[in-house]
Amino acid sequence: MEALNALLHGFGIALQPMNLLWGFIGVTLGTFVGVLPGVGPALTVAMLLPLTVKLDPTGALIMFAGIYYGAMFGGSTTTILLNTPGESASIATALEGNKMAKAGRAGPALATSAIGSFVAGTIATVLLTLVAPIVVDLALKFGPAEYFALMVFAFITVAAVLGSSTVRGLTSLFLGLFLGLIGIDSQTGQQRFAFGVPELLDGVDVVVLAVGLFAVGEALYVAAYQSRVTETLEKLKGSLLMSAEDWKRSWPAWLRATAIGFPFGTIPAGGSEIPTFLSYATEKKLSKHPEEFGKGAIEGVAGPEAANNAAATGVLVPLLTLGIPTSATAAILLGAFQNYGLQPGPLLFDAQKDLVWGLIASLYVGNIILLILNLPLIGMWVKVLQIPKDLLYAGILVFATLGAYSLHQSWVDLLTLYVFGLLGFMMRRWDIPVGPAVIGLILGPLAETQFRRALSISQGDPSVFISHPISATLLAITALLIIAPWLYRRFRPTSS
Amino acid sequence: MPRSGAEIALSLGVVALGIGVAAVTATLPSEGGYAGIGPNFIPAVVALGIIALGVWLAIEAFAGGWRDMPEHTDRFEPMPFVWVSAGLFAHMALIGWAGFIIAGTVLFACVARGFGSRRMVRDLAIALVMSVAIYLFFVKLLNVNLPAGWLEPVLGGAGI
Repeated sequence: MEALNALLHGFGIALQPMNLLWGFIGVTLGTFVGVLPGVGPALTVAMLLPLTVKLDPTGALIMFAGIYYGAMFGGSTTTILLNTPGESASIATALEGNKMAKAGRAGPALATSAIGSFVAGTIATVLLTLVAPIVVDLALKFGPAEYFALMVFAFITVAAVLGSSTVRGLTSLFLGLFLGLIGIDSQTGQQRFAFGVPELLDGVDVVVLAVGLFAVGEALYVAAYQSRVTETLEKLKGSLLMSAEDWKRSWPAWLRATAIGFPFGTIPAGGSEIPTFLSYATEKKLSKHPEEFGKGAIEGVAGPEAANNAAATGVLVPLLTLGIPTSATAAILLGAFQNYGLQPGPLLFDAQKDLVWGLIASLYVGNIILLILNLPLIGMWVKVLQIPKDLLYAGILVFATLGAYSLHQSWVDLLTLYVFGLLGFMMRRWDIPVGPAVIGLILGPLAETQFRRALSISQGDPSVFISHPISATLLAITALLIIAPWLYRRFRPTSS
Repeated sequence: MPRSGAEIALSLGVVALGIGVAAVTATLPSEGGYAGIGPNFIPAVVALGIIALGVWLAIEAFAGGWRDMPEHTDRFEPMPFVWVSAGLFAHMALIGWAGFIIAGTVLFACVARGFGSRRMVRDLAIALVMSVAIYLFFVKLLNVNLPAGWLEPVLGGAGI
């Protein structure tokens, strides 16, 4: 019951008027920016980070949690009405949701998505409340060798296992690892790859990289390749209300999706992409109306959307308890913590009780605010979708450059931003995933610190990574993840 | 599948980056205290990794192109790309002395032009209103410092 007491204490903090206000501003802005076509949760969080620089850490992180959740909710509206999935996790929703909208059932599609997100988000937050203290107890037993092994495991799953190509995923990761080296070495004070440029001595900021890759890169790409393409916005006709039949078909999907989404979020499996597809496949298999799939089956919206939100909450477990981001969005959230000199991990639960539990409590509050924002006020978000493309990208870039400039008040950061924009353009054009680069930038320096710390403790003996059982197990699983697909391809029975 | 010049160039670019990282790493000290490895160890690992990945990409590129690439049929249009880039460079040059509002307005108009807008006056008007609103929100409400530049006499300093 320790968790319950801590949570009640957290509610005392989350419900303070100012924190409630920051939370409300967070979910509203998160929804607004998340609704914008082409803006996924990672970019939403990165673009809105500069808003919080002058707030106290608790207020800022509560606002951030709101932005994170809001972006998830907002993204589904866009997917259903516009059929442009802002992120890979929305592709499954796009399959059925947009079909429903085309058939004049946009209302129930949006409703099952919003209510499903609320149900899944709330159950997942309860699970987070219960699981986090257990993981913290376990994490306290971790030494530098175990942390390093865990980080290597995370690197390999997000870069090599997910995505269409191992080599391109790893290239992105190593690019991020290189960018993470720029600046001052935390152990010795040695300057690395900064060439004496003051803006580089602080290291590459995750906001500049994420906004450069996602916003500037995307703007350059869409301008060069798709500036003439226009999307059709489906109209929001008829009732928002779900029929009794809709309810009956939705709620089992929500619950199954939560059971799939949360565990997937907690392991380093790249966030929401896999669980949304798994949920879609599960619903298609179990449905009494399999013939409707592909033509607008409500389970196909209810499941993936709930899975998406459950996974988004699950991602917070390794982020808060171990300090390990498992998605690009989580990496940017970790950057937000670091801006305040906070390092998430088991010690944070002890040293910053107010902040951590206030943050978790605010997730419950945020879910309720989001349900209210997304159902009765849906008409407002539909208007946001009507912003024409030219004004939309112009506005996004004004905001994107503002974030980069506010770091040091220097044009050098804007030049860096443009360089990352060009990089993002090329990565988008030649199908190199950008997520691993963002995770590499944030997690790389932490992994290096743990690696060198582990070797310091062992007096330079590298066997420390295989003599500790947890570390050895994690490294063995990692090796298996790399070798197994290769072996499979090499030795699979050839059918032709 | 035809060999793609761009893929070959990008692969070799990755190799070149790796060699560059390796060259800088060679100048870093290797003193490491108890750990036995210094600030040059991980950079060396990263450099080798980048070179190896570049070689792997190059092998794929020469042997019929990168694997599992999605279909790409859209044609590259240079002018929109140039307009967006020009807007970003103009913004970079202007923000320090002309201020956030003017730089932001110019950027907005250039990007809108790049995306095919022909209504320059409307774009400038929207840009100006938006920039002023963002400026006031950040500077007066959130206390974030943004340059007022030429408009300083009109806008005044930070704080309400």
